[in-house]
Amino acid sequence: MKTQAAILWEVGAPWSVEEIDLDPPGPGEVLVKLAASGMCHSDEHLVTGDLPFALPMIGGHEGAGVVMEVGVGVSWLAPGDHVVFGFIPSCGRCPSCSRGHQNLCDLGAKMGGGRQITDGTARHHARGQDLSLMCILGTFAHHTVVNEASCIKIDNDIPLDRACLTGCGVVTGWGSSVYAAEVAPGDTVAVAGVGGIGANALQGAKLAGAKRIIAIDPVEFKREKAMELGATHTASSMTEAVELIGQITWGQMANKVIMTMGVGSGELIGQAMALAGKRGRVVVTNLHPALESSVTMSGLDLTLYEKQLVGSLFGSGNPRADIPKLLNLYRDGLLDLDGLITRRYPLEGVNDGYQDMRDGKNIRGVLVYD
Amino acid sequence: MKSKAAMIHGLNQEWSVEEIDIQAPKKNEVIVHWRAAGMCHSDEHLVTGDMVPPQEYWEFMGLKDFFPMIGGHEGAGVVVEVGPDVTDLAVGDHVSASFVPSCGRCRYCSTGRQNLCDLGSQTFIGGMITDGTHRHFQKNGEPVTLMAKLGTFSEYACVATNSLIKIDKDIPLEAAALVSCGVATGWGSATARAQTKPGDTVVVVGVGGIGMNAVQGAKMAGAKRIIAIDPVEFKREKAMEFGATHTFSSMAEALPAVMEMTWGQLADRVIMTPGVLHGEMMGEGMSLAGKGSTVVVTAISPMTSTTASINLFELAMWQKEVKGTIFGSLNPRADIPALLDMYRSGTLKLDELITKRYPLDQINEGYRAMRDGENIRGVIVNG
Repeated sequence: MKTQAAILWEVGAPWSVEEIDLDPPGPGEVLVKLAASGMCHSDEHLVTGDLPFALPMIGGHEGAGVVMEVGVGVSWLAPGDHVVFGFIPSCGRCPSCSRGHQNLCDLGAKMGGGRQITDGTARHHARGQDLSLMCILGTFAHHTVVNEASCIKIDNDIPLDRACLTGCGVVTGWGSSVYAAEVAPGDTVAVAGVGGIGANALQGAKLAGAKRIIAIDPVEFKREKAMELGATHTASSMTEAVELIGQITWGQMANKVIMTMGVGSGELIGQAMALAGKRGRVVVTNLHPALESSVTMSGLDLTLYEKQLVGSLFGSGNPRADIPKLLNLYRDGLLDLDGLITRRYPLEGVNDGYQDMRDGKNIRGVLVYD
Repeated sequence: MKSKAAMIHGLNQEWSVEEIDIQAPKKNEVIVHWRAAGMCHSDEHLVTGDMVPPQEYWEFMGLKDFFPMIGGHEGAGVVVEVGPDVTDLAVGDHVSASFVPSCGRCRYCSTGRQNLCDLGSQTFIGGMITDGTHRHFQKNGEPVTLMAKLGTFSEYACVATNSLIKIDKDIPLEAAALVSCGVATGWGSATARAQTKPGDTVVVVGVGGIGMNAVQGAKMAGAKRIIAIDPVEFKREKAMEFGATHTFSSMAEALPAVMEMTWGQLADRVIMTPGVLHGEMMGEGMSLAGKGSTVVVTAISPMTSTTASINLFELAMWQKEVKGTIFGSLNPRADIPALLDMYRSGTLKLDELITKRYPLDQINEGYRAMRDGENIRGVIVNG
């Protein structure tokens, strides 16, 4: 079939919205009519080259839609089912999936190639070329074909333009606080960077019972938004935050520090560690440039204060458990998804949306298709 | 296809080895040639009725009849035929049974608790997990149910892929059969569930096919003292080979000794793995446990019993905890291969667990030997 998709042909180019050819789903695959896609910073990393994936590639990995057709062997999904895509597939069978770490599913190894999990070939084609898919999903499109391992079935009453955000940003931020940082009642938590991820780290920290939540962001609009999402204090820089946290904790500093900036930098890790007190834990959720290999920090801090530095992917959550769980929290009024969406764009507006993101105007922009 | 299978037709009857007819596998099902089957106490619980739901519950559970049932839920074998759309198993693959299925999709499977997979709710209901219909039929044409949807006391069985774990071909199938239930359950009771820590004092009550592996698990986790309690002398001797540091023939006999050797601190972990756990044994078990201790209940109790002799004052004031466990709180798809790799590297004893091998025809002799305390584990071997 023919459909529309936003393609990145080379690093640094704008997204090109054009007609593509889409093959029917093969064994274990599903054809989905997309309803909405979040505009996550990770897709911008494709444009900047921080994520060096094979191009041309259809962008987008925060998607939700309705199943139109299932391939041979797909027994648990049917046309009409509503699905959110987990940005990491989960096979449910490998050692990581079996032990409650679906975010580290062995199928994740196939993500860099961007081709179908089953046989490594492409279902999406344009200008006579095979197209890769961001996270093997390609949600900047009206339709896509993905593996069943990427599909999470959700209840039909959840609005899809909000549901799509749980495929990546919401669980990543919320889980960074709840699962990776293990925020406990009474904690002081600092969140560095209030975008689509950090906004949800704030919500997670609040629900987990944090006493003080310090949101750090240079953009005033985001600091204001942070206060609506659960922050108790804000700071415009790490330097400002050190002083603030020192004062409000009587020098004890933060129990948890969560790094959710647009792009991380090894030089900033030392500043992040400085926000953490004794036994404090720093969680690195944001991406760092792929080729960066050095970090500036005090090793003595690690030993003498027993500080911890841990990484987190998808907020250390499990797509099949946590996407439905967070959508239930949304339904119950304990998680704000509506307030995360700053602006909606049609597929053709993808480049405008990313410009707004770069300009710090959006917490989350969402592409909405009809 | 035809197969020989050992089934029971009602409570307190002998196992009856009969010919059955097995239909071709449907979607997500395969035919397994069971090559080895462990003779676990749980199958005996079917005979005695300890694990048979009372008849008044049957309608609620969606059961027309509980019997006849082909026994066996510990097993390993070779895939000989696959149904349509089966992509994760092929003819010739070696597989271990998993008495708890794991769908990989439900809330429990998705959070590292595959032992609690939602599909487990169908364990005692007849028919396949896949679509509820039967594949196994007696000579008279009536369907027959499989213990835990596996029926490893049959030469061949049609089994859902959700109940099978692929294993490496260099692993002896007898070893895999033991790991599929008893070894994992016992080992996990001491490690994953009791959370035994280096230096702990651990008491294991009952050292049969489960308890012996709780002893192994406690040893591997670094326990300082491991006290094995069993009335049978042969099992106490065997427990010393598996890592126990002390043995006693009863909990009453153990209590003053544990008190003395720990300078009054008592045990950090107590693991209850007797053949049948009766409520009045709990108080004695908990009296062996010290402040802040963990008592793990692994054994099967009579299904309808609802009382246990527990001193709740001590539970609160000494901050003890009582925890149940199924499959040792392990994840079949990760931990069955992991345990087999420990066997391969020499850190887990499996060969030593097997006391005697029996052909399928001698299954009743095997269970008599178990009841008489002659076996740690008997194994049925099919050529």
